[in-house]
Amino acid sequence: MNARQPFTLRRSWFEATARARLQALLDPASFREFLPPETSEPSPHLAVLDIPGAFDDGVIIGAGRLDGREVLVIAQEGQFMGGAVGEIHGAKIVGLLKRAQRDKPAAVLFLADSGGVRLHEANAGLIAISEIMRAVLDTRAAGVPVLALVGGSCGAFGGMGIVTRLCSAVIMSEEGRLALSGPEVIETVAGVEEFDSKDRALVWRVTGGKHRYLTGDCAALAEDEAADFSRVAAQLLAGWQEDVPSLAALRAEQARLSTRRTRFAGLRDGLDVWAALGVAEPGQVPLMDRDSLVDLKKGLPQ
Amino acid sequence: MNAPHPSGPGGWDTRRQGRQRRLERAAAIGLGRLVPAARVVDLLEAVIEPGDRVCLEGNNQKQADFLAESLADCSPERLHDLHMVQSVLALPSHVDLFERGLARRLDFSFSGPQGGRLARLVQDRQIEIGAIHTYLELFGRYFMDLTPKVSLIAAQSADAAGNLYTGPNTEDTPAIVEATAFKGGIVIAQVNELKDSLPRVDVPADWVDFVIVAPRPNYIEPLFTRDPAQITEVQVLMAMMAIKGIYAEYEVKRLNHGIGFDTAAIELLLPTYAADLGLKGKICTHWALNPHPTLIPAIEAGCVESVHSFGSEVGMENYIAARSDVFFTGADGSMRSNRAFSQTAGLYACDMFIGSTLQIDLAGNSSTATLGRITGFGGAPNMGSDPHGRRHASAAWLKAGREAGGANAIRGRKLVVQMVETFREHMAPVFVEQLDAWKLKESMGMDLPPIMIYGDDVSHVVTEEGIANLLLCRTAEEREQAIRGVAGFTPVGMARDRRMVENLRDRGIIRRPEDMGIDPRMASRDLLAARSVKDLVRWSGGLYAPPARFRNW
Repeated sequence: MNARQPFTLRRSWFEATARARLQALLDPASFREFLPPETSEPSPHLAVLDIPGAFDDGVIIGAGRLDGREVLVIAQEGQFMGGAVGEIHGAKIVGLLKRAQRDKPAAVLFLADSGGVRLHEANAGLIAISEIMRAVLDTRAAGVPVLALVGGSCGAFGGMGIVTRLCSAVIMSEEGRLALSGPEVIETVAGVEEFDSKDRALVWRVTGGKHRYLTGDCAALAEDEAADFSRVAAQLLAGWQEDVPSLAALRAEQARLSTRRTRFAGLRDGLDVWAALGVAEPGQVPLMDRDSLVDLKKGLPQ
Repeated sequence: MNAPHPSGPGGWDTRRQGRQRRLERAAAIGLGRLVPAARVVDLLEAVIEPGDRVCLEGNNQKQADFLAESLADCSPERLHDLHMVQSVLALPSHVDLFERGLARRLDFSFSGPQGGRLARLVQDRQIEIGAIHTYLELFGRYFMDLTPKVSLIAAQSADAAGNLYTGPNTEDTPAIVEATAFKGGIVIAQVNELKDSLPRVDVPADWVDFVIVAPRPNYIEPLFTRDPAQITEVQVLMAMMAIKGIYAEYEVKRLNHGIGFDTAAIELLLPTYAADLGLKGKICTHWALNPHPTLIPAIEAGCVESVHSFGSEVGMENYIAARSDVFFTGADGSMRSNRAFSQTAGLYACDMFIGSTLQIDLAGNSSTATLGRITGFGGAPNMGSDPHGRRHASAAWLKAGREAGGANAIRGRKLVVQMVETFREHMAPVFVEQLDAWKLKESMGMDLPPIMIYGDDVSHVVTEEGIANLLLCRTAEEREQAIRGVAGFTPVGMARDRRMVENLRDRGIIRRPEDMGIDPRMASRDLLAARSVKDLVRWSGGLYAPPARFRNW
């Protein structure tokens, strides 16, 4: 081959597998998996139901370096059962977070890609989710920041939506989605008049990364590219001080959320919320690139 | 003294007299050049006579839909036994004409969505099919033995004098109007709007007899938009093989791409994978192609010099207007397409055609015909055939000619490439012992099976298993084994002679990805220059405005 510049390969975070995300996110050759394929066990609950399991039960845990810093990582595999949290899946995450409390890495990176609890595992899945919530808070209390990275095809919904917001900070891509009830769940429960889950544009306008960034639910926006998630996460960690939140700070946050609830009550579309936030041309937001949106947010009334 | 001139029974200008008679009938019921939409049936019944040959402008994209519906609403007592000539039978009203007893005979090229209804009408003997043509054949016959008496066409706008602006979707209009207006025929145009002045004149007023402002804009089908999100990694692998194993080796500069996700994948690899191989400017510089949105990244990256189009594509208008170095645009800025000229370019001026198909047999014949549907041909057989009349040389044409005919070949060859996955949806094998086209021929009483691309024109077959170079095959048996050798796990592929296939591989007739230095594990969607329609919009700097059904924002 000639000495040509290779084109820059844009590795999509949205389309990548969990393993590919980790490989591209961390410093080269730094990733070390805990409970690698040969030691792990697939879910016994799925086996009982005659559903094929996965050797990693849909989540990969391990250690590596991000821009030179020692970090622990959790990566959910959205391509296995929508990244749903079952008993073993949850136990691996909790175990990793406990290790973080003991070893005090620079951070835990939580690559969320999950619709929430794995319903096939019923109570075991629900318990797993609540154990993860507790473990995330314990880890933060131990002074280790937990960063949620949301940009996979399953987003972060249900219990994983809550877990994500319990983290120290959330990084999202435009393609990422974050909410409590998923679009299909809302439509099933409240009818298509309430929410049309087939309207993909609407789904992204109320759960997508740009919306979460404008409403302040995520701290930073990344491009749909592993290298950019890596850059943004490293930037956020530089100088990050994980403090145990004071009662006053929690009350202030509570008050902010209550105000927001009344302020946006009755608005039915991200477009309306953005207009209420002071965006002059909300219709332009979906096509904006990341940097323009960051500039737009800077200019909004506080 | 002069001998008396022989003449027909009515003199030498019976067509002109007929035309005059028709125009007088329209005048007698008070219809002038501009006809109100409410009186369109009166007009059609006045100027069309039973048994007339009528051309209804049904293009691949643009449809004279109001005139088609209005003709179908005419009384079968007044108008019957019409002979319809039209390139595409796309709308339900096109078939209604036959069901309602207005029309009897049909000469056409492509029927797409109406293929099923058409087949039933043929079996019920409610329709006589003259022939199923390629576009160029049909246009040629408009000027030979299928000249229309009355043509019903569609344009964007008209001025008070009757000049027409067809806009980017000019498509078949010039060919139809020329054949009709200069052989004593009558041209009726439906337009979307009347304007004081037109951006440009595509059809001059004295070639047009009647203009009707349609109650709603004519229908245009976005036929060439493919969402990059649906391209699979197998298609990326095949695109890598095509680029490295064919485009690069033959230095293919002038080409046409059939429509589909396989070719869309190639278009999206041009600014990435192909550029990385150093091929920018060496391949794919000149195109006969509809304005595929998936070509935007290659254009923006400077890989493309020129594109001439058969028709336009919904949403691409502003992008095309802003890239007049690449597309053919008028002084007004908007594109002018022309199917007849672009097909001619595709036949004679292209070095390669690459497209997909539904079935391929052991001789390399391919067909998109399936049982119970008559879909026709469109333009693929024009572009997917080796024109024996070609004289000018190019690197690709000469190399292919020498592979086929030896070092002393006296003519080159066009590259005609069929690119298919070995199985299509529902696990239907693409490679078959016998094409469904043969059964269709029997059930429809056709003279010949509807073969899309003849095997002797095919130069290469690309599948996920590899590339078969049919130019290098010297016997029918080698050809058969070369095709079996890339037919994967289909029954045809499983029945290969393994030793012979290995021998063909040693001779470079069959090549696997590894023979071309391609690692299938590297075939990732990450190689695509755009992975979504939104990416295409961004590449275009916001100029491309995709139709609503392709948006998720």
